[in-house]
Amino acid sequence: MMPEQEIATREKQEVQGAEKTRPGRYFVPQVDIVENENELTLWADMPGVSDKDATVSLNDGVLTIVGKVSLAAYDKLSPLYTEYNVGNYFRQFELNEDIDEEKIKARMRNGVLTVELPKREHARPRRIEVSAG
Amino acid sequence: MALIRWEEFDPVGSMLALQEELSRVLRNPAFNLGLSGYGAYPPINVFDSGDGLAIVAELPGVEPANVNLVAQRNTLTLRGNRVREEAKAPGAFHRREREFGEFSRSIQLPEGLDLEKAAARFESGVLTVKIPKSPEAKPRQIAVESA
Repeated sequence: MMPEQEIATREKQEVQGAEKTRPGRYFVPQVDIVENENELTLWADMPGVSDKDATVSLNDGVLTIVGKVSLAAYDKLSPLYTEYNVGNYFRQFELNEDIDEEKIKARMRNGVLTVELPKREHARPRRIEVSAG
Repeated sequence: MALIRWEEFDPVGSMLALQEELSRVLRNPAFNLGLSGYGAYPPINVFDSGDGLAIVAELPGVEPANVNLVAQRNTLTLRGNRVREEAKAPGAFHRREREFGEFSRSIQLPEGLDLEKAAARFESGVLTVKIPKSPEAKPRQIAVESA
């Protein structure tokens, strides 16, 4: 059976600009962001990052994602041939939506960070009943 | 070749050393992967583990149950399917950078490996396949008898 859709390979992008002063190379995780009436959901690909090594913070409307990869898996291994490099992940987003910080949920599964960012009640669209009369 | 210890007590120095080592052999032409070389999904890194080879691939978002590994003679085939996660409720995409779908990649392995004893592990979206050297390929001590 022919695959319906094949995945294309994309090179990892390094974090550019001011972040370069950080030690080592940081990579930009690829993300999907979906918004609906009640919340924003973000998924970020951060392979090699375990749940305890991912951090999500929201300060002054700026969402920061950091993922630290464990080097333990590379212990006693000598590279012979490589197609990608490894490094920590970093990305920031400015959120225009009014997010209820208390209710943010984040989890890591199979190297993917999922962040649920619920909007505050007043920021959600409300249906206003129009009464006749 | 000396095996490097990526010491956890010096994460910054170790990270720099590992990144340097990985870029040193980037697309190393001395290592022939056969038909599906660089550019095929998923990208792979190949390591010397001392007693064999370790093949590492980043497969974020792939369920371990959806990874299929087949070894035949000297060919290792890695197949799988990456399925998009469902949002709580449908909405509009602000960013859509991640790709989903099926993948299949076959790589040619060097001679002298025991594919029967290959073992694979999937952790935090990273697949590691370790293949030991076959007994014939391991160095053997030859006793020198005195005449």
